[in-house]
Amino acid sequence: MWQRPDSYGRFGKFGGKYVPETLMHALSELESTFNSLKDDPDFQNELAGILKDYVGRETPLYFSERLTEHYRHPNGEGPHIYLKREDLNHTGAHKINNAIGQVFLAKHLGKKRIIAETGAGQHGVATATVCARFGLQCLTYMGAQDMERQALNVFRMRLLDAEVRAVHSRTATLKDATSEAIRDWVANVETTHYILGSVAGPYPYPMMVREKEAMEKWGGKPDVLVACVGEGSDAMGLFDDFIKDKDVRLIGVEAAGLGLDSGKHAATLTKGEVGVLHGTMSYLLQDDDGQIIEPHSISAGLDYPGVGPEHSFLKEKGRAEYYSVTDEEALEAFKRLSRLEGIIPALETSHALAYLEKLSPTLANGTKVVVNCSGRGDKDVQTAIKYLKV
Amino acid sequence: MASYIQARFFNRQVEDSCPANRLMISKRRTRNAHAACAQLLPMENTPNSGKLDLNKPMMGTQQVPINVPAIISGKFGRFGGKFVPETLIACLKELEAEFNWALEDPEFQNELQTALRDYIGRETPLYFAERLTNHYKNEDGHGPEIYLKREDLNHCGAHKLNNAIAQAMIAKRMGLKSVVAATGAGQHGVATAAACAKLSLECTVFMGISDMEKQNSNVLLMKLLGAEVKGVEGNFKDASSQAIREWVGNLQTTYYLTGTVVGPHPCPSMVREFQSVIGKETRRQAMEKWGGKPDVLLACVGSGSNALGIFHEFIGDEDVRLIGVEAAGFGLDSGKHAATLARGEVGVYHGAMSYLLQDEEGQIIGPHSIGVGLEYPGVSPELSFLKDTGRAEFYSATDEEAVEAYKRLSRIEGIIPSLEASHALAFLEKLCPTLPSGTKVIVNCSGRGDKDAATVLNYQQYSM
Repeated sequence: MWQRPDSYGRFGKFGGKYVPETLMHALSELESTFNSLKDDPDFQNELAGILKDYVGRETPLYFSERLTEHYRHPNGEGPHIYLKREDLNHTGAHKINNAIGQVFLAKHLGKKRIIAETGAGQHGVATATVCARFGLQCLTYMGAQDMERQALNVFRMRLLDAEVRAVHSRTATLKDATSEAIRDWVANVETTHYILGSVAGPYPYPMMVREKEAMEKWGGKPDVLVACVGEGSDAMGLFDDFIKDKDVRLIGVEAAGLGLDSGKHAATLTKGEVGVLHGTMSYLLQDDDGQIIEPHSISAGLDYPGVGPEHSFLKEKGRAEYYSVTDEEALEAFKRLSRLEGIIPALETSHALAYLEKLSPTLANGTKVVVNCSGRGDKDVQTAIKYLKV
Repeated sequence: MASYIQARFFNRQVEDSCPANRLMISKRRTRNAHAACAQLLPMENTPNSGKLDLNKPMMGTQQVPINVPAIISGKFGRFGGKFVPETLIACLKELEAEFNWALEDPEFQNELQTALRDYIGRETPLYFAERLTNHYKNEDGHGPEIYLKREDLNHCGAHKLNNAIAQAMIAKRMGLKSVVAATGAGQHGVATAAACAKLSLECTVFMGISDMEKQNSNVLLMKLLGAEVKGVEGNFKDASSQAIREWVGNLQTTYYLTGTVVGPHPCPSMVREFQSVIGKETRRQAMEKWGGKPDVLLACVGSGSNALGIFHEFIGDEDVRLIGVEAAGFGLDSGKHAATLARGEVGVYHGAMSYLLQDEEGQIIGPHSIGVGLEYPGVSPELSFLKDTGRAEFYSATDEEAVEAYKRLSRIEGIIPSLEASHALAFLEKLCPTLPSGTKVIVNCSGRGDKDAATVLNYQQYSM
């Protein structure tokens, strides 16, 4: 029941390959290469070496003593909170694992040119990083508006020898950058590989990290996994290994922005409807005419109107639960972890952490909760300072 | 255990009975350094000392020093020591006792190992920089092999937390509630703030006002982590002086968390000991990777903590070359640099005897470097000793060379190094052509350079 996607790339009715004809061949090529390489020991060893020495894996599973104490009841009972420290990866987030996997694949396919789209710049920086490492040409499409707001990330991408191309059409933000990137790929598919944020592309490549630290730490499985959900690759990275373990609760936390009723949020699984976006069928935020509703979240990485098809599937089957937290709750959680544990989490991650406020009181004493600390928050400092008035 | 507690109690009584003195930080004398030294503390292994320990090296000889822990004496040949007023001697003795106890205490060591692994993310990888290696190959395809010790991957982005977490744990053991520290680039400040948050200690960080402007992102991080950041006119040396003043005024409740290998004994030794995890890991990793030792270790030198962190383990290995790279700023002849070992003279500063940048009258010369963490007019006494005995070699790189190296590693390996680490990387340009093919070079990539992106951007725009 919980199998990988079928040969059409579907999870139940979700997923698929809704792309122009020109891209079908490229996608099939990618999938078959992936399938042949994933069992190739040389490839796996090389990949493992890069993940270890370049990215810095495996990342620790950290027992957050002060956070656990914070959630203890007056009678001394409460859950045990652990953080999966994806913030310690090179470039500071889980994103690089996906980029590495795909660039590696692309290299094996003989592609010399990599393109990507980026909103706030994190995915762009991760892609540029990996391209520099492998000596591949890198072009990132970025909305002109976003480029102004994220000048430092633009500079970092250029330092890493990537070309950053401004997109001026329509709202000049992520959605338009994505469309431009897809246009480029269609025109240059022979030489070029397109690294999407991870919504499309061969699943479960982003989820190649199969670490079993939880088993080692306390000789058992986690009871609850909590992760933030934007397009969802980071969450799937944590959930993937445990989908078949019915006794492990999977909780995804989306961005409720200014509130679910404000119309300014990015809570796709809570408020969206099924449709097709960027090549895949999934839940998405759309109006009655099927036009995409502009999402909002204080965190750029969750500011996305769609969600990965597997999440849609897990929700429908009831295997995973999805909730949401507001910008304000996320900011509080950002500050809380910084002050209690000396770890500044990304604003995206802060959404998962914020949900602990509602979750912890409901859990039995000693419940083992693992939160995916998907990224570090250095990039969000300016935003947070403004709101938190520190 | 009982005798330790008695000793501690006794030390406190002694301390309480001493009148409170204002700390006189600066006793910087150049030409009479030896005489001053002889008056205040006995020097070991000089012709004038009554003692001669055949296991310790003689001054002025070319003998390679055996790795005797200077934890005992705090002296490295003529360098080091404890040039502090009475009030602090008792405190420093207590600190030393606490430190020695922590080193032997299995519970402390376990807790520290857990923190290093799960909190900081050690061990850090020893990364073969394939593309950088190719960059340095000559036309025949020969060249050294370049490895990077990835201290940039640590929590907080530099090597500083290795020391900060261990010392914060010591502060807690001592029952102290608050911590003061001084920071240059802000990395030590951020590391201290993080460690204090984790261990629920109050934290105050002193930082030079000009540094606060240059490394504003780090200031914000410290505040978010719950630390109070206090600006001091000047830069790191002035912030250090202020932090020490604050400490002296609150000895009962406050721990001075030193970030680097300078200051009165036991500070340099403590920091070096906690940073030596870098070298220990490196030895093991080198053995795993190629079944041998590194041939060359290369590290940037500000005051010396990351350099000693990687060097210390290998001091006794004669066949391992130790190379430190200082900041030449606008050039060694410009007067605007921080190349203490190249251009300094011996004197006493911040409680220890070492090389330092001073003028004819013994006044400190303000250092300059684009790598703010290298901007210190003094240097580790242990490095001064390694220089004098010829065990380690010291060179320097200018601001311009460092910025080039910053951009080079970003472009070629997708790793943005700190401007401090960039000085070490810059020296590869001069070093590599001189090395036989296959020489194993390990560069300590002591920090990540996100904090320096704005500086480099401005530098480019300004210089265009």
